[in-house]
Amino acid sequence: MNTEDAPRIIIEARRVSKSFGSFQALRDVSATFFEGQVTAIVGPSGSGKSTFLRTLNRLEAQDAGEIIVDGIVLNDDLKHLDAIRREVGMVFQSFNLFSHLTILRNVALAPIRVRKMPRSAAESKALQLLERVGLKSQAAKYPVQLSGGQQQRVAIARALAMDPKVLLFDEPTSALDPEMVNEVLAVMRELAHSGITMLVVTHEMGFAREVADRVIFFDEGVILEDTSPARFFSNPEHERAKAFLSQVRHGY
Amino acid sequence: MDWTRKHPGWAMAGAMVGLLVFLWGMAVPLAAAPAPIGPAAQQFVDGARITVELTLISGSAGVLIGVLAGLGKLSHFWPLRRFCDGYVWLIRGTPLLLQILFVWLAFPEILPEGIELSDFACAAIALSLNVGAYNTECVRAGILAVPHGQIEAARALGLTPLQTFLGVILPQSMRVALPALANNLASLVKDSSLAYAISVVELTMVGYRVQAESYQPIPVFITIAVIYLILTTAFTTLTAALEAQLDVGQKR
Repeated sequence: MNTEDAPRIIIEARRVSKSFGSFQALRDVSATFFEGQVTAIVGPSGSGKSTFLRTLNRLEAQDAGEIIVDGIVLNDDLKHLDAIRREVGMVFQSFNLFSHLTILRNVALAPIRVRKMPRSAAESKALQLLERVGLKSQAAKYPVQLSGGQQQRVAIARALAMDPKVLLFDEPTSALDPEMVNEVLAVMRELAHSGITMLVVTHEMGFAREVADRVIFFDEGVILEDTSPARFFSNPEHERAKAFLSQVRHGY
Repeated sequence: MDWTRKHPGWAMAGAMVGLLVFLWGMAVPLAAAPAPIGPAAQQFVDGARITVELTLISGSAGVLIGVLAGLGKLSHFWPLRRFCDGYVWLIRGTPLLLQILFVWLAFPEILPEGIELSDFACAAIALSLNVGAYNTECVRAGILAVPHGQIEAARALGLTPLQTFLGVILPQSMRVALPALANNLASLVKDSSLAYAISVVELTMVGYRVQAESYQPIPVFITIAVIYLILTTAFTTLTAALEAQLDVGQKR
């Protein structure tokens, strides 16, 4: 979709490795992501896809290798970290809305605290974002009063409130009841068409096929395939990818 | 209790106004009572005020100490952790009466010349340190009860560690810690009576004196007990209302 003239590099991972004790989650993973691209990251459980996503905004620190986000090297330097976390938004599997704050305050919190935006401006912006995800009428409620699908849409609005250049989604629909998956995917589809860079760890193969510009298949801590959705779903190169696809398609 | 849950704001205001009205107005019914209570009404009033002052001062200082030491116990910096462990171990392992006597008798020898502590100040210091140690454990448990996803969400939004603590962790941990903190406060109202040992004229000391003069322990001690009951009821109503106030957005 967005492959026109020389796309700009937004995230570059070079030979990234990460271990948890004796378990090696990532082995020398390298990948480059371009502005405006929507990438679906798929693979079996424990293949390292979530860990990889979490290293990109340093919720996990890599053991070796280098990650560069929009020209800034990701390391322990707090200034770099702050700068990157302002540019990279994240949506979690379990929503992680702040349970003691109203929906409106959830969305407005980071712009007020981090961007030092005046409260009234932050709240009117939050209302716009809530309208965009179809939840303006719920602004005064608390997270527990909302369904899972609604909470995840709020979480997306909260991430958007910081005007990130990149949005990371860590299995955004995996914790949802089946009937709520579509409302979240609809919001994500709308976002993808708006031109924001998205990296989506997902088990929703239909979504990956339809919306993503690119599919990355992880297995045992390495990227086995990095290709277009059309090629990945019709003609995967590796046996592991074929096996994975036949497994996930089984329920279709 | 139900009413308190439904109208926490009114209950809090009511408890506070009630406490003040009681402290200012109790002289009137007491003075009207027959001997030995009537003639000593002003002593009862003064004693109750000292008890309330000790409770409020030590209670506030104790919460502050509890938050700081509770954080210290969770610190990555081991000398601080050990120091806070040692503090809690020392205070919980020794009698409160000994701690009060220690501050009263030993502090003047330790403190530099020229600094003199009143009896009241000694009692307040000892009680603050004592309730602070018990609060430490409650606060620590409250902080540990905050789901890690909340912290990750705050970090991913670019909030600094301090902003994350003040804006997300502390308010949520207080919801968990408050019932236990309220319990400690109720104990404190009564523990403050031990200050009589260092000649602070609080409520119990007043009772002791009045019955010694009148040789009528039964009416005197019943009066004292009723005043304590009214005070603890006011404090527990206050904390229960605060609990209900903080409970918004919480699963029941």
